Amino acid sequence: MSFNTHKTWFYNTVGRNIHLWQYVENNATDTLAGIRIQMPDEYYGRQLIYPDESITSGLRFEGTAFAEAFVDNDPNELNGNDEPTLANQTSPDEADHVNLTRMLSLAVVDYVKAMMSDGQGDIQKKEYYMREFWKKVGDDQSNKRKMFMTFPVTPFAVK
Amino acid sequence: MTVLEIMERSGMTNTTLAVAFIKDAIHLMQSQVDVHTATWKTNITDGTREYPFPANMIRLNNISIKDTNDSKYKRIRRLAHKPVVAEDTDPE
Repeated sequence: MSFNTHKTWFYNTVGRNIHLWQYVENNATDTLAGIRIQMPDEYYGRQLIYPDESITSGLRFEGTAFAEAFVDNDPNELNGNDEPTLANQTSPDEADHVNLTRMLSLAVVDYVKAMMSDGQGDIQKKEYYMREFWKKVGDDQSNKRKMFMTFPVTPFAVK
Repeated sequence: MTVLEIMERSGMTNTTLAVAFIKDAIHLMQSQVDVHTATWKTNITDGTREYPFPANMIRLNNISIKDTNDSKYKRIRRLAHKPVVAEDTDPE
């Protein structure tokens, strides 16, 4: 049974994989005739060992995913008062919608323009559109966050 | 916004190339910001340390291990240094 997993498990990344490690401070024991005995050839003391137990659905990754990039309906328009129903399109065509907010869709337009400029060898134009691309991505992100800045006003300050 | 609208706004005429560029743009965004996040779960096997990243994952946010004592997934930390053990040929 795993417990305190946030303190006793670690990982490191190796290429496309992760390596899981379990931190132990004790030693491997076995029970012989009702008495727990220390196994002579097993780990002992503080060390990192391979996972010492099987856990069903025990490892959970969280991250950004390339999923449902194209859908059949506009993801930014309500269906009456309800959220739109979106079905993934595996072979997208011109009529399908990009599953992004309006601002990010505009950023994609800039990206396509940048790539077209790149193909034409116009690097300055490409750089301009890439800057526009990131600006719109940043705008979209800031729409989700509110930041408050306060600072003291000095006496007699001219503002 | 439809693929056609993106093509018209950008002056692109090739649909296949436009779709490829859109996919690239989404990958680029997802590498920097959280547009769509997802979770993946896999089994841990006794004595096995190597687990592949999910195939469609772009950027890792965190990794958790199930605490079977209270049925909660708890975030684990990344090792700052590689451990001394490069390979354990008898992990059991």
